[in-house]
Amino acid sequence: MKLKRFAALALSVAMLGLAGVGTAAAFPDKPVTLVVPWPAGGGSDTLMRMIAEGATGSLGQPVVVVNKPGAGGSLGLREVAESPPDGYTMSMVATGFIAEQYGNPNSPTLDQYKVVAFIGVDPAIIAAGKDTGIKTLEQLVAEGKAEPGKLRNANDQAGGTAFVAASLMEIALGIDLTLVPYQGSAPVVQAIMSGETQTATPSVTDLIAQHKAGEVTILAVAGAERHFLAPDIPTFTEAGFPLVTGTVRAIVVPAETPDEVVAKLEAAIMAALGDEDFKKRATAAGFSIAPLGSADATAFLQKMDEDMYPVLLEAGLVKVRQK
Amino acid sequence: MLTEFSTLALEVLTSPWLLGLGVCATLLGIILGALPGISSTMTLAVLLPFSFSMSPHVAMIFLIGAFYGSVYGGSISAILLNIPGTPGSMVTQLDGYPMARRGDAGQALTYALMASTIGGLFGIVGLMLFAPILAEAAFAFQSPEYAVIMVFGLSMLAYASPGSTYLGIMSGILGLALGMVGLDVVTNLSRFDFGIHRLQGGINIIPFAVGIFGLAEVLRLLEKPLDSDRSASRIVSLWPSIGQIAARFGTAIRSSAIGLLVGIIPAAGSAVAVSISYAQEKKLFGKRETFGDGNPRGIVAAEAGNNACVGGALIPLITLGIPGDTMTAVLIGALLVHGLRPGPDLFVEHPDFIASIYVALALTVLVTFLLALPLMRVFARLLSVPPRILHVGVLILCVTGSYAVQNALFDVLLMIFFGGAGYLLAKVGVPTAPIMFGLVLGPVLEENLRRTMIVYGDWSVFLTRPICAAMLAVTVLIIAFPLITALRQRLTPT
Repeated sequence: MKLKRFAALALSVAMLGLAGVGTAAAFPDKPVTLVVPWPAGGGSDTLMRMIAEGATGSLGQPVVVVNKPGAGGSLGLREVAESPPDGYTMSMVATGFIAEQYGNPNSPTLDQYKVVAFIGVDPAIIAAGKDTGIKTLEQLVAEGKAEPGKLRNANDQAGGTAFVAASLMEIALGIDLTLVPYQGSAPVVQAIMSGETQTATPSVTDLIAQHKAGEVTILAVAGAERHFLAPDIPTFTEAGFPLVTGTVRAIVVPAETPDEVVAKLEAAIMAALGDEDFKKRATAAGFSIAPLGSADATAFLQKMDEDMYPVLLEAGLVKVRQK
Repeated sequence: MLTEFSTLALEVLTSPWLLGLGVCATLLGIILGALPGISSTMTLAVLLPFSFSMSPHVAMIFLIGAFYGSVYGGSISAILLNIPGTPGSMVTQLDGYPMARRGDAGQALTYALMASTIGGLFGIVGLMLFAPILAEAAFAFQSPEYAVIMVFGLSMLAYASPGSTYLGIMSGILGLALGMVGLDVVTNLSRFDFGIHRLQGGINIIPFAVGIFGLAEVLRLLEKPLDSDRSASRIVSLWPSIGQIAARFGTAIRSSAIGLLVGIIPAAGSAVAVSISYAQEKKLFGKRETFGDGNPRGIVAAEAGNNACVGGALIPLITLGIPGDTMTAVLIGALLVHGLRPGPDLFVEHPDFIASIYVALALTVLVTFLLALPLMRVFARLLSVPPRILHVGVLILCVTGSYAVQNALFDVLLMIFFGGAGYLLAKVGVPTAPIMFGLVLGPVLEENLRRTMIVYGDWSVFLTRPICAAMLAVTVLIIAFPLITALRQRLTPT
């Protein structure tokens, strides 16, 4: 009898111990959520669904995309930052998040996250409408300097990716554009094609077809190198105006998430990003895939945060958390 | 183009696998569309990964089928349960639900289906015959014109509200105010969030509409003893007479035209289209007929506009490579994965592909019609479920639907708040529909008005741009006409 009780107790203790070890070793033992802080159907959403599909295979548990849109992504991001740091909730962050930190008191900050992996940068572009007659970056600079503020640029809301890109370009080119906000990339394309604005600063994918048809002219790409969809278009750096900006995408978890759990997620996402089939599909859709692991990705985002701060400050977008 | 269209159409019609896929996709679309909170955009985004392995032609049949099916499906829950399945169907319920309560659920569904089909066909014709012209014409519409269209829509609604015009205008203004909550589109600063950070995302139209119509209705029904609530369970007849349908044909055509045109505008969306087409019919027939208490014309206006919007949204996609709304944006995503980049050259480079879009849309309009005919009887029968069970079901759909839109519990709280508000407002006789119109049209008006000011810097632009000036003149005439008539009657000696 006594022995039996002892055995039971020993067994329970052993089980408890095992369970303790098990949480890290057995991760993941339920589906993992990947929060996309924008509505379903956008470019980032499409890419995340493709990555989730791949990561499901290597993680052994389903990775489920959940859209939590609102307030430029800060609602969903805040929810993830405050969620249990157990690795079961990840989120995607993009360029706009860096700006939101300083523009919105409710936005989480970069140090509230651990960066799991970096996906790539879709470079921003600057394009000029057909009726403007502007065909090169030099012409744009000349026109922009002749009458500051006369050229209107189509971009997203203050602090958005295209807005930040346009602000950076104004500084790099030494010109002054009137920034006109539109909601999303479709209205931006419509605006430059209809002539409501003379220039636009969306992603390559948004305007490459219109460029090839001669409806607009993409003047330069803000990538480190030329874009695979537009090999004939020079980069800003080549044209003599060093500038790299665009839609940066990375996957993050709450900062307190244990390192071994992050490592597992990192491995799964890196495997998904390295898959040939995935690469082919993503490239066809125009996404630049340049994966970085957790350590490099963290360094990248930190540097981006430092680089963008002065720009945001100059554009009057630092309203909270002054450095 | 015609040869490509006919060869492809023949290929699809003779292939059991493609036909089957079209039927399945449409059925899936109808069901997901009928579920509150699952919008057409979400339906497409969720189904998108399944299309990756299909060829572009097959993917279009699959996605456009689900797209159009869900646009129609939204009307089912709107009519039967007073909960909009999709944003585009929220106007359908204004007259559809009262009709169903009267025992005419079958007829209401038939009107919705007829109008949807006419709207869908109108959209196809517009897309196939006039796409390039309409796309060019759309360029004449820029921010100032959009702003004026919204003013036009709002002014007609104010004058056509049932009951007191002043109360109608007041609740319209309340809707405009609600539309201001959230991040400012220009400065990105938060407005009217009362320190609740969730309100920064603005007030989503679905939790609002589900609360103010769906939940408020359940609260109203609680007042009555359960046994008295038998009216809705009788399905008197499924079919209105031919004459009754024919009498609303003009409405269907006018609303289809509006749906098609609004569909072309990027980022306007079906909620705006149905608001304007409903407003127009109210203005035209407001004298002779009452709206909002089960007028079939209201259903026809909303559904024809809603479904014609699909064809309209595809026009800028195939001619310019710009998505006309969020649904077509997902379609572009599907094309990109296949390496097809829609742009101004798509017509020249891939005519076969354009043909497959036409075929897919034509097929799904047809399939929806044929599927819905037998299904309507089943749907209408839903209402013969005992009220106590039906009401619990409605409550569940109210909660899950509000949650599903943005996966946010806050939206459920918002829905409950608006449910309570809608119940109380109706008690004191304030019409709630104008609030919804204000909430839909207000933000579009504000955005375009402020953009006009940034671009042109001057109010005179509204008088110097011909389309603006003409539409403003019409708006002023519409507002002034009843006043002038009244004045003349008073001045004429009797």
